[in-house]
Amino acid sequence: MSDPSSQGEALRAEAITKRFGTVTALDGVSMRLAPGEILGILGDNGAGKSTLMKILTGYQPPTTGRLFVAGEEVALRSVDHARALGIECVYQDLALVNGLSVYHNMFLNREKRRAFPPFMLDNPAMRRRAQEILDDIGVNIPSVDLEVERLSGGQRQAVAVARAVGSNARILLLDEPLAAMGARESALIIDLILRLKAKGDLSIVMIMHNYAQTLDIADRIMLMQHGTVTYERASGETSVTELLEIIRREYRARRAA
Amino acid sequence: MIDPKDPVSDTSAAGGVARRAMFGGAALGTALLAMGAAATRAQAAGIPSHPRWRLVFVNHVTTNPFFVPTQYGIQDACAMMGCDYQWTGSATSNAGEMVNAMNAAIAAKADAIAVPIVDPAAFTRPIARAMDAGIPVFSYNADANAGRLAYIGQDLYAAGVKMGERIVSMVDSGKVALFISTPGQLNIQPRIDGAQDAIKKSGKKIDIDVIATGATVDEELSKVKAYYIGHQDVKGMFAVDGGSTQGVSEVIRESKLAEKGIRGGGFDLLPRTLTNIHEGHLDFTIDQQPYLQGFYTVMEMVTFLASGGLVGPADVNTGLKFVTKDNVGPYLSTETRYEGKTDKAAIVPRSGAIKA
Amino acid sequence: MSAANENGAVRPSPFAGRLLGAFLRWREASIIVVAMLLTLYFQAANDNFLTEANLQTLSQFIAASAIIACGEIMLLICGEIDLSAGHVFALAPFIMHFANQAGLPIFLALLAALLGSALVGLVNGLITVKLSVPSFVTTLGTLYLLNGFTLTISHGSPVETGGSEAFANVMGASGYAEIIWAFVIVAIMHFVLRQTRWGLHTIAAGGNLIGAAEAGINVARIKIGNFILTSVLAGFTGIIEAFRISSTDPLAGGTAIMFLAVAAGVIGGTPLAGGSGTVLGGLIGAIVLGVLRDGFTLQGINAFTFDMIIGAFILIAMISNIHVGRLQRRGGR
Repeated sequence: MSDPSSQGEALRAEAITKRFGTVTALDGVSMRLAPGEILGILGDNGAGKSTLMKILTGYQPPTTGRLFVAGEEVALRSVDHARALGIECVYQDLALVNGLSVYHNMFLNREKRRAFPPFMLDNPAMRRRAQEILDDIGVNIPSVDLEVERLSGGQRQAVAVARAVGSNARILLLDEPLAAMGARESALIIDLILRLKAKGDLSIVMIMHNYAQTLDIADRIMLMQHGTVTYERASGETSVTELLEIIRREYRARRAA
Repeated sequence: MIDPKDPVSDTSAAGGVARRAMFGGAALGTALLAMGAAATRAQAAGIPSHPRWRLVFVNHVTTNPFFVPTQYGIQDACAMMGCDYQWTGSATSNAGEMVNAMNAAIAAKADAIAVPIVDPAAFTRPIARAMDAGIPVFSYNADANAGRLAYIGQDLYAAGVKMGERIVSMVDSGKVALFISTPGQLNIQPRIDGAQDAIKKSGKKIDIDVIATGATVDEELSKVKAYYIGHQDVKGMFAVDGGSTQGVSEVIRESKLAEKGIRGGGFDLLPRTLTNIHEGHLDFTIDQQPYLQGFYTVMEMVTFLASGGLVGPADVNTGLKFVTKDNVGPYLSTETRYEGKTDKAAIVPRSGAIKA
Repeated sequence: MSAANENGAVRPSPFAGRLLGAFLRWREASIIVVAMLLTLYFQAANDNFLTEANLQTLSQFIAASAIIACGEIMLLICGEIDLSAGHVFALAPFIMHFANQAGLPIFLALLAALLGSALVGLVNGLITVKLSVPSFVTTLGTLYLLNGFTLTISHGSPVETGGSEAFANVMGASGYAEIIWAFVIVAIMHFVLRQTRWGLHTIAAGGNLIGAAEAGINVARIKIGNFILTSVLAGFTGIIEAFRISSTDPLAGGTAIMFLAVAAGVIGGTPLAGGSGTVLGGLIGAIVLGVLRDGFTLQGINAFTFDMIIGAFILIAMISNIHVGRLQRRGGR
């Protein structure tokens, strides 16, 4: 079912609520994502950012609320279903398997197989395609045969992003992509994200912790507190100071209550 | 700890006959050192000089104390006859491990093999293979129709019958427990069959419970205890193997059951069993003379090898002797290799008339 | 393997160097070296070691633990273990026996036994995965259950293994039958682990359980499947051993063979912690253990000191293995 008000939007969520028993993690969250846009979601721990992410990727269903992908309403049944619609996610723990190579990680659960002998993996094909994807988005890895545990933090993040991009993603969700990274490695990833935006065929949602970096990279930001969206603005129209003030105000209000 | 009285023998160059390892902490070092030394021929009084024959004794419970006197018997006979022996097999009555040990012995070109035939089917082919390879095979302690040359041990079924008759003379009616460590094993199953047959034949109203107690001594004690706690109206508890007998005697002693009129008895001469007979807790035990099971088996092997097979092997019945409070004294007062209580060799003095 | 340069001096060929380098980078290289050294030692100690008769005996020492190791390795990789394998080993031949007695031809009886084994694996898997019981505890419980069940249905007594002589020969009675089965199964499982999705997903489930689930892998199915696989392999091994010794015994197998299988896997290079592993290494680990057990028996070591010496050699073998492994990694960078 298509909603005329969501035409031209890559992704839209309306009044998403998620309850776990007596705990309400998300309380009526709405968001939208324009095509080719980078949206930054900010907020402290416990604000509900990760829960929202899990719902958008199909990992969990919302308790109530509606989702629209490219204007069409959907009820995401599973991660595979979300993927089929072009939604890919890179989790904070990267979902990389240490004991496997770069190319095996990039094709995890999407492995290519030979026609004959049956069941046999087509490693050469996966190797080639993995290298292509990495080259395409400008990520420099010494060899796709290396086990991912041998890579630096930034390289691992890049591989995780490459995996998501390489499976024809239309919407890319990144959970804390710059967590625990030094300045140099952050620069690597920031460049990658901006390159991806420049290619034009991806819309990106990033959960972030660092206000300054977010305002630098994202087109729009969304502030979440205690399971609701409390502030939404284009990056150019707000500042770190303003955002911090909103948070301080809310904290004082709670303490007084 | 067994301490062989012989010096460490060297390896014969001919045929690569392995030498015997020493026990204790020196074992590892000695094992590594004693490789490929010069040949030694044995010279024992009475038979001509011969290479140190290697006699492999496979066993089903290698670490069971019952067989300690058997190993002393083997050692003494080997010392006399100038041979080496290997004591191997399984510690847990595992037929597969015993078959593996026999196969290794055949591949090592052992001079003779002895094995208790505790499984009716598993040993037929290995014995045939050994005999085809020219290795004489004897059975000891347990027997079956499996192609071996001779059996050295107790007539197991007859021993069971005798025990059954003894039980019938002690218990008129009521519940009686018969404990067996590993049912189906041919070294003890015939005894329990004999006992049950004798009891049934007597016509008395005796209700028999057959309980399996497991292959190791500690487990056996626990099982007997657990049975008694659940059946305190039992009139008598008897066992057909050494470990279970010791367990029965301990349970009777701990709970002072002899005073309550509960009878007990079994097989083999484990130390606690003898003490408990002496103190009146257990009525009897039956000696199958494990020392002879080792000693005579070696003798049979040597005479077969010395005579090139002309001196045919002969079954040896190592006997059945009831040990009761009346005659247990000497068993306790002496510590000899013959009963396995010490490794010190000695001649045991005896005087006076002999009561059959 | 050397070439003369223009000065006439001889230098080692670069090809030999590359070959050696490639060999050393194999993760199984270190344990292969240990196995070769042990073989040399035992042949020196007793030149009956490498005779045909002993090789056959040796192969029988190796086969059983090698086959069960394949299953345990898959479980170890995905973070689980099966302690009940040795008791499925004892039960399966009895299922075959009773099915045969009930009228099924021996081949179908064998399949029935494998089905029964699979059922045990399914139970192990369901309890571990769905009820979140650590597999150590789950399989400890099933170990005892199976032990009691086997003793009960067999009344504690061994029976003669059935089947025609020809069938028995194929299934383990003839000299090299067992080791041939072992090689075939190891080859298949090596392929599964390294060249199929199942193997890859097993590694993923062990290396990053949450991550693998996030990637959409059905980790429950992987774990349960590997439990079933291990139980079927254990049951099959029990059956071929029953054919080898012509006796179906409730006391067969047990914790001893299970520990040998797990030890073979670990010695061969599969860490207990999971996340990676090698089936070929498991075979070589089984060879190392078999060589130790057969070699010392051949040498005439007596039962009492046997375990002491085996223990010492296992420690020596593993310490060398780990050190060679370290040299390997330093050199391989």
